[in-house]
Amino acid sequence: MDHTEIEERQIPELYLMGKLPPEEAAGFEEHYLHCQECLDRLELAESMERGFKRAAGQDAARVAATRQIAVLAWLSRLGRSRQMAALAMAVLVVAILPGLLGLREVRERERELAAARSDLEQERQRSAVGSRTEAEAQRLQAELEASRSDLDRERQARASADEQLEEARKPRGNVPILFLDTERGGGEPTHRLSLRDTPGLIVLALVIDPPHRPSYRAVLRDAKGKEVWRGDGLQLNEMEALSLSLPSTLLAPGDYTVEVDGRRFTFRVLK
Amino acid sequence: MSTYAASRPEEDEAEIATDLVRRIASGNASAEGELVERYSRGVLYLLRRLAPELADDLHQETFRISLERLRRRELDEPEGLAGFLRGIARNLVIGERRKSARRRTEADDEELAQAVHPAPGQLSAVLLDEEAETVRQLIRELPTERDRQLLLRFYVTEEDKESLCTDLGLDSLHFNRVLFRARQRFKELLLERRKKAVMRHGPH
Repeated sequence: MDHTEIEERQIPELYLMGKLPPEEAAGFEEHYLHCQECLDRLELAESMERGFKRAAGQDAARVAATRQIAVLAWLSRLGRSRQMAALAMAVLVVAILPGLLGLREVRERERELAAARSDLEQERQRSAVGSRTEAEAQRLQAELEASRSDLDRERQARASADEQLEEARKPRGNVPILFLDTERGGGEPTHRLSLRDTPGLIVLALVIDPPHRPSYRAVLRDAKGKEVWRGDGLQLNEMEALSLSLPSTLLAPGDYTVEVDGRRFTFRVLK
Repeated sequence: MSTYAASRPEEDEAEIATDLVRRIASGNASAEGELVERYSRGVLYLLRRLAPELADDLHQETFRISLERLRRRELDEPEGLAGFLRGIARNLVIGERRKSARRRTEADDEELAQAVHPAPGQLSAVLLDEEAETVRQLIRELPTERDRQLLLRFYVTEEDKESLCTDLGLDSLHFNRVLFRARQRFKELLLERRKKAVMRHGPH
């Protein structure tokens, strides 16, 4: 057994205080079973520890008793009326103290309640903000849906236009050509054009009588006089005619007039 | 397993224990007496720590059982004789505790009502007061307030050595020195008081 370690670490004291780990305590027990020196040391340390604790306990009890005696001595020095007053004060304190403690408790609970209410209010406000945010999100969602719908329509229109363009680029046969002469009198249009089921181009050939000009302006109107199409800088071809090609989708069944610098050309579109 | 096995006294203990075990197994009666003499005080101290009210009875029982076992057969590790004795003592305490626990569950209310905490006898109370007075005198004699604080906090409030050293600005060496001197002085003062008491009243 290494007594240097026992002394250095105060192992007997730790053992007596129950502060040694179980394995070390077992080792120390096996050691002191045959070590008279450690047994002496243990008994002395035990006696000393007991003495310290008993002295501390006695001193504490003595201090408490001294205080009580001092209070009694003070009371005994007072006159009868003052003794009664002190007694009344003591009774008052005893009676009031629980009330004060209760009041303190109530105030504490009130503070807790106020804090809880405040938390609740904040939670409500957060919920309200959440609702507004939700409404805003719904509105944005609706706008997004509308934008998507517009985009779809735009795409469809674009696709349709592309299709028409593609169709227009293709060489086409059987393109209807309507030769129109200047209208010389009133009455119904004598030139007629039947629309086909599939959209396509329609060519109007306007025969212009002399004297000729370098260029012409043409305006196409429907039966109500509403302008359907207008073209400037038109020039005569070798047949002394202005040729206008129009998409058939521009025209609906009805009467139309083409005005070319004071000249009028009429035709009727049939379904 | 002992953590102090490497030191010299343990080596002596191993030799002595091995010799005792062999001699007892070979029927040597004086070896049995030597075993009891060597370990008696330690076993009794251990038993008083574990079960003060049973210590005296179990002290004898520990040696009876140990000697019977050692007579029948040598220990596999004879150098661990102290551990063997400690094990028997502890097992006896555990066995007694179990028995008394069973008895307690079978006891009636009247029996329980009669069970009172044993108060220290008059002589014990005198001895305890004597120890307390010795401590007071020891404290008064200490040269510095710091040493007084050290002893009070170590023994009364059971603070750790490390925290006390840090708190009071002491090194480990000083701490050990104060405790060592205090123990020596306490022992001297206690012996002086007891001598005076014997001279006044005669031996207890």
